[in-house]
Amino acid sequence: MSAPPKTIHLAIAGAALLAVAGAGAFWYAARQGAGAQSAADRLVTVNATSCEPNAITLPGGRRSFEIVNASDRPIEWEILDGVMVVAERENIAPGFRSTLEVQLAPGEYAITCGLLSNPRGTLTVTQSDEAAAAASEVTLRKFLGPLSEYRVYLVMQGDAAVKAAGALRDAIAAGDLDAARQAWRQARLPYRRIEPLAYRFSDLKERIDARAAYLQGREQDPGFTGYHRIEYGLFAEGSTQGLAPFADGLLADLTELAARLKQAPLDPGLLIEMPADSALQIVQGQLPQGENLYAGNDLQDLGASLEGIGKLAGLLRQVAAQVDPALDAAIGQDLQAAEARLAEIEAQGHRTYGDVPPAARDALAAELTQFSQDLRKLQPAIGMN
Amino acid sequence: MVGQYLKTTALALTLGVWGSGMMAAEPSLDLVGPLAEYKLYVAQNTAKLVEDVTAFTDAVKAGDLEKARSLFAPTRTSYEKIEPIAELFSDLDVSIDARADDYEQAEQDPAFTGFHRIEYGLWEQGSTDGLAEYADRLLADVKDLDARINGLTFPPEVVVGGAAVLMEEVAATKISGEEDRYSRTDLWDFDANFEGAQKIYELLRPLIAGDRADFVAKVDGNFAAVDEVLAKYHSADGGFVSYEELTDADRNALSAKVNTLAEDLSTLRGQLGLG
Amino acid sequence: MRDPAPLSTTRRRLLGRIGLGALGGTVAAGLGIPPLPARAQPDLPRTGPQVVEAPAGHAETAAGHVPFYGRHQAGILTPRPASGILAAFDVVLASLDDFERMLRRLTERAAFLTQGGAVPARDPGLPPADSGLLGPVVAPDDLTITLGFGASLFDRHDWLAGLKPAHLQRMVQFPNDALDPALCHGDLSLQFCANLPDTCIHALRDMLKNLSEFLVLRWMIEGSVPPVPPAPDGSTPSARNFLGFRDGSANPDANDAALMQRVVWTHGPDEPDWARGGSYQAVRVIRNLVERWDRTPLREQEQIFGRTKMTGAPLDAPEAGEYAVPDYAADPEGVATPLDAHIRLANPRRPDSERNLMLRRPFNYSRGVLRNGQLDQGLLFIAYQADLEAGFIAVQERLNGEPLEEYIKPVGGGYFFAPPGIAAGDYLGSSLVDAARRNRTAQPESIKRE
Repeated sequence: MSAPPKTIHLAIAGAALLAVAGAGAFWYAARQGAGAQSAADRLVTVNATSCEPNAITLPGGRRSFEIVNASDRPIEWEILDGVMVVAERENIAPGFRSTLEVQLAPGEYAITCGLLSNPRGTLTVTQSDEAAAAASEVTLRKFLGPLSEYRVYLVMQGDAAVKAAGALRDAIAAGDLDAARQAWRQARLPYRRIEPLAYRFSDLKERIDARAAYLQGREQDPGFTGYHRIEYGLFAEGSTQGLAPFADGLLADLTELAARLKQAPLDPGLLIEMPADSALQIVQGQLPQGENLYAGNDLQDLGASLEGIGKLAGLLRQVAAQVDPALDAAIGQDLQAAEARLAEIEAQGHRTYGDVPPAARDALAAELTQFSQDLRKLQPAIGMN
Repeated sequence: MVGQYLKTTALALTLGVWGSGMMAAEPSLDLVGPLAEYKLYVAQNTAKLVEDVTAFTDAVKAGDLEKARSLFAPTRTSYEKIEPIAELFSDLDVSIDARADDYEQAEQDPAFTGFHRIEYGLWEQGSTDGLAEYADRLLADVKDLDARINGLTFPPEVVVGGAAVLMEEVAATKISGEEDRYSRTDLWDFDANFEGAQKIYELLRPLIAGDRADFVAKVDGNFAAVDEVLAKYHSADGGFVSYEELTDADRNALSAKVNTLAEDLSTLRGQLGLG
Repeated sequence: MRDPAPLSTTRRRLLGRIGLGALGGTVAAGLGIPPLPARAQPDLPRTGPQVVEAPAGHAETAAGHVPFYGRHQAGILTPRPASGILAAFDVVLASLDDFERMLRRLTERAAFLTQGGAVPARDPGLPPADSGLLGPVVAPDDLTITLGFGASLFDRHDWLAGLKPAHLQRMVQFPNDALDPALCHGDLSLQFCANLPDTCIHALRDMLKNLSEFLVLRWMIEGSVPPVPPAPDGSTPSARNFLGFRDGSANPDANDAALMQRVVWTHGPDEPDWARGGSYQAVRVIRNLVERWDRTPLREQEQIFGRTKMTGAPLDAPEAGEYAVPDYAADPEGVATPLDAHIRLANPRRPDSERNLMLRRPFNYSRGVLRNGQLDQGLLFIAYQADLEAGFIAVQERLNGEPLEEYIKPVGGGYFFAPPGIAAGDYLGSSLVDAARRNRTAQPESIKRE
């Protein structure tokens, strides 16, 4: 018998290759389906009762996560340091994915997994050069000035909020609708300026800034108090009648808030966190939906919010200027762009916020998003570990 | 390198009066409260300064010599209390508070402006003539100062070191009666500098009282002693009598206390990690 | 046990002998009789040093002398001895001839004092020719006397018209100055430097006595430089000022002739010919607020200066020596050496700031107490440069507003021009006088031409 022709070897080899390629393609497709390909450091798939993976180990530094909601309920995903939320993504719809970027210092963390009843996972962050380098040369000393300056701002705006609420209460007591409406518009502004910190006092916030949409009984709910309850009376019902108790309540709550703000402990981490968070919250909440539903003067409120965020940004820029001049300049430009955009929208002369076209809102949202992103870069630049 | 210095200093200090536990290597967040309080205090004073200077310059421009003279010293007190912050703006400090001997041509020098130029007119020349432009300039300057101070993030070491700086002010110019040489109202200024220093010290006292009882007791005692001496020189209307009335013995007593306070208060920065 | 009484008697006699001996010596000198040689006195047992004895003199330094004649005046590149005086005068001159006479006599006295010699005898019925401070034989003691002309000398005398050095001007106050007119300016300056203060004082008194017809003393400051024993390797560190810092670490090398020609000796095309080889002398009396300085944290002192205090090393190389050059290019944000540190402002070490070098030759002064009970002491700053505007004035303008200003207060001084050096047989300032005479004779000719 003679040796088989070379072509047979080739054919066998070829078939084997094909088989391997086929297997590879199948493997590749399977992983794609599971969404395993990700630009993020870790991909986390949240199922109905568990998370995949449930124990993650990563080196410290700036890390990113991609969270895929493979369950049929909207979920949120959080990294927890004890009871403190380090980072979170809310409202991820079923079938959708969301990315989260966070500066992680070495340590042990917990991760939530969809429903609160689901078991939590663990996140272990190890030492790394990147984490060590991120502990910048910025010392606490550089923050003392900005921190105390912010406290002065809190005191002064807190006092202004109380004073303005007093003027509002007086106008209501006098039964003067026009004066009360004007006083109402002015009264919210100091509160908006210091909202980045004020909203964290959840008990007071619920009374001062309650919104009908989140209450079962809506506008009739006994929990509907504060600024918006008075707004409803003055602008939707068009009368000062029956508003006196709410005005008194608001004044008392703001007085309590001012006292708490005076004593609120401030630290560099908090100062850095506040403006970026607040800018993003505006993008996600007030911009698309509006907040002053009855008075419609959201643009005015947004102006005050921007002032408050701008104050924080300015203080942080003082620290950042020597460490990262490019970032300092970028933040300055972002704020200017957002302010300019808001001024532009105001110049359009809309009677009420409801009239502001989506395109304009989106444009401002884009500016604020950029602002928030650059503000987030402050943590690695000047944050203290 | 810094660590080395701290070690050497600490070593040297343990051999002396100070224990090595006196020094803080780093400032703490506890300083945020006092720093904020101090800014509020200064902002109140600059607002009052604008108010008072308005009344003072109105009197000068109205030609009311009596009234202008009576307002001169009380108006200055808000400025003298906040000296460590005011002098951060050296252009305004010179324009508002320079003395004649800072200028080669003394009182005749055209660059000589501010409180003391007006003082020269009111007392030495005994008239409000020709002072209108200096009055306008002074008012514009203090308004500018108020705005600049409100916009300033106070450097922590300037605040903490401010108590000692105020004592240096007193030691250099108020003790010798060189500050208000025409009106002889130096004791008003002395008292204001002193009160300003006390304010800073009191805001910081809770941060050091715990570990440094001896130091605190000593400084408290010296402040009280100065208070006591100055109290002897109050005038009927709650102000102060002329510097001329200060006896040599009292001047020496004050000088010794002021210098000791300057020595002690100059350690505050190091104690609070801002050295 | 010895009876103490005879010893004390011996001591008294010894004291008495010494007193008489000293007096006798002076009297003898006045008579032209050499003093009794020590051997002629009875041998008394020395019990030990006495309170009134003069401190032991240093034979080598007493005899040391600095050449008076040369291309440039002495006392500019000469290393500083321990004592100095800067005296400023107003001149009383009726004519150019007076000016020449004054300069000749000044030169004569300066040449004698700086080279030393026996004091001439005079009839005792007359006031002595010499104050006698240095004894019958004036030891040179490394004395230098440097002459300077003030702007007002030229401005007030029309026979010097057109001859003022290009940048010579009356000192104008800088923002932090509190100039005392009694301590400023002058038609003429004399800088005396020697190992002992007495040598300087002796020289000043000699000048005043011999030139009383022409010179009126306006102000003077006595200064000192602390002597420092040399290091084991033979090098001597810079002396300290009254703020406790080493002063002069970054001075240009006085032994580099080409550098000195560029930095110190006037050579510009805009300068009058007679001035070439001279140098601008900037004098500043700078009071130091020492009590306040001593209450300032050490770290802050060093940040204000830009150097470590004890060694004088720059802040970016604290382990190096005081002569290490700071590397500002590697520290653009001023993290190691603050951007407003004194040495960094004075010399930012950029290519363009090379123009602004000057040779600093300061002394410390201590004059007493002020009305507020604080010490009146500080720096007698003296600097030499080829161009006053590019040198001291440019540097001071960079320094305006520096943090150090909290602790210093310039109260006096002036700008002068030190004329070039002379050969033996010539007199100081002769090149100026010759130029003035030429101008005078030139004038009639130009009129003739018209």
